[in-house]
Amino acid sequence: MISGFILRALEGKIVVAIAVLIAIAILVPVLNLLTPPDSALHIPTYAMSLFGKYLCYALLALALDLVWGYCGILSLGHGAFFALGGYAMGMYLMRQIGPRGTYGNPVLPDFMVFLNYKELPWFWFGMDWFVVAMAMVLLVPGLLAFVFGWFAFRSRVNGVYLSIITQAMTYALMLAFFRNDMGFGGNNGLTDFKDILGFQVQADGTRAVLFALSALVLALCLLTASAIVRSKFGKVLVGVRDAESRVRFLGFRVENMKLFTFVVSAMFAGIAGALFVPQVGIINPGEFAPANSIEIVVWTAVGGRGTLIGPIIGAVLVNAGKSFFTGAFPEFWLFALGGLFIFVTLFLPRGIVGTIQHGFKARKALKAAADAEKGRGDAQTVAQAVQAAE
Amino acid sequence: MIFRTFVQAFFACFILSFSVPAFAQSGADPKPLIDGLAKADFAEAETLIGQIAATGDVRVVPALDAFAEGDLYFRKSDSAVFIGKTGDAGLDLTDPLTGVSAGTVPKSAVTKIKINNNLRRVISSATGGLTLLSPDRSVRLAAADAVLASPGAENLGLVEAALAKETDPEVKLRMTEARAVSVLSSDRSIDEKRDAIRTIKTIGGNNALSILSAVSGSIDPSLKGDLDAALAALQSEQKLWDMAQNVWYGLSLGSVLLLAAIGLAITFGVMGIINMAHGEMVMLGAYSTFMVQEVIRNHAPGLFDWSLTIALPVAFLVTGAVGLVIERAVIRFLYGRPLETLLATWGVSLILQQTIRSIFGPTNQEVGNPSWMSGSFPVGGMTITWNRMWIIVFSLVIFFALLVVMKKSAYGLNMRAVTQNRRMASSMGIRTPWVDALTFALGSGIAGIAGVALSQIDNVSPNLGQSYIIDSFMVVVFGGVGNLWGTLVGALSLGVLNKFLEPSVGAVLGKILVLVLIILFIQKRPRGLFALKGRAVEA
Amino acid sequence: MNTIAETRSKSLLYLENVSVSFDGFKALNSLSFVVEPGELRAIIGPNGAGKTTMMDIITGKTRPDTGTVLFEDTIDLTKKDEADIAQLGIGRKFQKPTVFESHTVWDNLELALNRDRGVFGTLFYRLSAEDKARIEEILDTVRLTHRAQEYAANLSHGQKQWLEIGMLLAQEPKLLLVDEPVAGMTDAETVETAILLREIAKTRSVVVVEHDMGFIRDLGVKVTCLAEGSVLAEGSIDFVSSDPKVIENYLGR
Repeated sequence: MISGFILRALEGKIVVAIAVLIAIAILVPVLNLLTPPDSALHIPTYAMSLFGKYLCYALLALALDLVWGYCGILSLGHGAFFALGGYAMGMYLMRQIGPRGTYGNPVLPDFMVFLNYKELPWFWFGMDWFVVAMAMVLLVPGLLAFVFGWFAFRSRVNGVYLSIITQAMTYALMLAFFRNDMGFGGNNGLTDFKDILGFQVQADGTRAVLFALSALVLALCLLTASAIVRSKFGKVLVGVRDAESRVRFLGFRVENMKLFTFVVSAMFAGIAGALFVPQVGIINPGEFAPANSIEIVVWTAVGGRGTLIGPIIGAVLVNAGKSFFTGAFPEFWLFALGGLFIFVTLFLPRGIVGTIQHGFKARKALKAAADAEKGRGDAQTVAQAVQAAE
Repeated sequence: MIFRTFVQAFFACFILSFSVPAFAQSGADPKPLIDGLAKADFAEAETLIGQIAATGDVRVVPALDAFAEGDLYFRKSDSAVFIGKTGDAGLDLTDPLTGVSAGTVPKSAVTKIKINNNLRRVISSATGGLTLLSPDRSVRLAAADAVLASPGAENLGLVEAALAKETDPEVKLRMTEARAVSVLSSDRSIDEKRDAIRTIKTIGGNNALSILSAVSGSIDPSLKGDLDAALAALQSEQKLWDMAQNVWYGLSLGSVLLLAAIGLAITFGVMGIINMAHGEMVMLGAYSTFMVQEVIRNHAPGLFDWSLTIALPVAFLVTGAVGLVIERAVIRFLYGRPLETLLATWGVSLILQQTIRSIFGPTNQEVGNPSWMSGSFPVGGMTITWNRMWIIVFSLVIFFALLVVMKKSAYGLNMRAVTQNRRMASSMGIRTPWVDALTFALGSGIAGIAGVALSQIDNVSPNLGQSYIIDSFMVVVFGGVGNLWGTLVGALSLGVLNKFLEPSVGAVLGKILVLVLIILFIQKRPRGLFALKGRAVEA
Repeated sequence: MNTIAETRSKSLLYLENVSVSFDGFKALNSLSFVVEPGELRAIIGPNGAGKTTMMDIITGKTRPDTGTVLFEDTIDLTKKDEADIAQLGIGRKFQKPTVFESHTVWDNLELALNRDRGVFGTLFYRLSAEDKARIEEILDTVRLTHRAQEYAANLSHGQKQWLEIGMLLAQEPKLLLVDEPVAGMTDAETVETAILLREIAKTRSVVVVEHDMGFIRDLGVKVTCLAEGSVLAEGSIDFVSSDPKVIENYLGR
């Protein structure tokens, strides 16, 4: 049963994408660690970290695509799941600092000493164990998505309304995490990390491993997403997106389908956040900002929602563009991003990958129509196929 | 303001019905009394001071002040009394009443009139009372306040005299209070004191509470009951005022939300465009105000008080025009795809923000308050600032103006027709693209007008719009999409709710709670407070 | 009393005194309506008579303000939602053909098959030989075998209507509610649809809402005429169409 589930996922493009990701996971760290800095093939550490960050964003975009592209739920709050995953990882990293902090307190992180905490808040307990922290990376975003989705989908909050309350959710969390007495470092967030599993966070080797992990985890999530999308469940999801009431009248519990997808997607986002934090070295409440969540939507839209590869390509391209612009012409970045939004919605509604795929499908449809004409002479079919192709 | 006048008129009537005890000004000429000081001993001087004050002639104040300062002298030759100031050549004398110079004499020609602390006290309360009769309204007011601050039985007569003559309602109110307070520390009858307590209680306010608490220690035991009752009543009244103040703050916040949301109620609520650039329209309106004020500052500073009035049409036209361009260039291709309008308009908002940032820089711009927007005035136990009050008035005016346009005008009818059934409307000869463009421009223009008002209470920076966008959406969704009344009720109730939560949980947590409540509310009523019901909506 | 109880116990679908109003507008006004097992029933009535609202109530999309709605005499449909009711065996075809346009015809039918509809059941579903045979059978019934691998979006309007009927068959319902199945069909398609529905009604109850009187005549079944939310007349097509109230309210002179 499970093997069928996985095997189905391994369709042509996905296999290629996974192979590419694995190759990147091996090649980039190798080129970073094993080539001399003056070699033409050398990849500097900062570039690798930057690329690692893009891969985390790509996973985040994939997560959004699962709910938006396949299920029609436009979440404007996915940044919240990402940030929660990041905070879970950040808490683990904070606890690893131990007595090396400025105040030298072996238990309390610096900001708690500074804010006169007498003891560790209950939700920090156990976060010094990697396993617990990693469980939290999945559980906290998953639980939030579950509770939120359980209410929202049961009462059939749809479309725009859902988008707006997801935005309210991340906004409320941002305000909450800005508060000092939440116990998450307030404004400054969590930073000054030292070790992860005993390895120095800043060390080249650790960074290389983190990078490789990002690529591999992305590949794994892509495989999972592909398996979901290609199952009967995935087809039901697309049905929900296109004709929700039909799905209901066929006897499916749409709210359960949405809930499952939303929770899986939130967990993906949480994982992305957890991989992101050690690579950038900080997590703060700014990650909850509604604008960040909207940016995820852009990456997905640019790459092509409703395709699995699209969001990955979109996230990497847009963020590479952002790095380039903010370095070279900082004034123009928002113009470029804003213009990209407008351009994509007006002229490329399927996104890059979606447009290419659609072109292929149209050609296939034309060919099928031509065959049908030879075989059956069904003129109507041809006309329709041509119409569809246009 | 009207309310305030009403209160004053009320108390004026109240006070007129008061029986003023027989204490009239003697009206005597103060000159001989002052001259009498020359030969008086301390006891006689005290009597004389009383008599001088009783003349009710405010001209004696400088003389009495000089006496207290030890600057009052009498001429040895004729015992005439003068105010003397030490000058280069001896003592410069002036007439104690008229202030006319009487020449300079050597110190040996005059004798200083002796003063002691008891007399100083008598003088100070006498002059305090005397200024109650000053022709200058603000001096009288200050004098009444002075009596209120240090009440004493010795002023009672003067206060009552002043009260009988007073015509200005505000001063009169203050004097009535001052009289009542003085009565409490005098040896008047218990009944009169009881009346005084009642008077102070009736006038009310924070002041009354502190006055009564201050005398509670020294009060006659038989009045203890009355006093405690009055205190309790005042305290509960104070609570009510606090509540009223909270409601006021809430309405004030609500009106800001209303202003911010009202344009969105059109672009999002009526047209179905998830207009993420809405906040930037507000921001453009605020920058229009800034530009108008800049021009006025440089070319016609005298017009500054008119700057907002000028800025309103300017902002409306600027943002309306920008809205028109956005609709024609982007949004018209996206009707019926609400989630895509979200993306495109967010792109627009980024571009607008960056444009403003490139032109004006990222920092806050200085937008001034015209004089009629500054300051505050008290109403009973609360304080109301003019700018907040005008913003409430303004938001309601805009709201009702818009309501009239939507419900009564031919354009409003066309617009509703287009939004309800586009194809039908166009087949009936309505030029739907034109109506769309105008409607979006109208929504944007109103956002711009809101920006003019918000420039008065918020920082004018390129990020201004971002801080309103989420709240605006909350208001529209909470109120019910497509329903202007819903937006009004939504904005005001969210504002009040926020301000009632704030004292107990703090501003940030209050806001979070409000957001959570809205999220929960949407689950219960997915289409807001005032939702359209029925089959058509679902389709 | 006895007869009512008897009608009820024999019925497949039983509506009694059902009322619902939207913002003061009475969409249904103490409507009573009974469908027996194996019956094919046609419903006619002017726009706003409450035909679609009645279907909404039966399928759980709308809750009635008052009244009884029973399925197989024991199941209170007013307490169930759409998914429950569909799983009980009530299928519904919409007025506007509603199929999954971005899926192939085959996938549309596969989704509709009466199999485990839970999250994990669908995640790990594999097409069995039995299911494959069933889909092929339905494809044949709705005359879409030659287009099985095409996207539903590319079908003609009539073919989409048929595909939707096919999906309902795959659902294996005991009761099929069909809303205006021949709207926008050619005459030839209309005739074929009538044949198809009669075929389907052999194994289950079918309720058809239709405006096309010719089509109703083709079906040759008991007709219920609704107006202003309640039943105006019930009986054979000739009986109903000669009723003066029906003529006045619906058919016109």
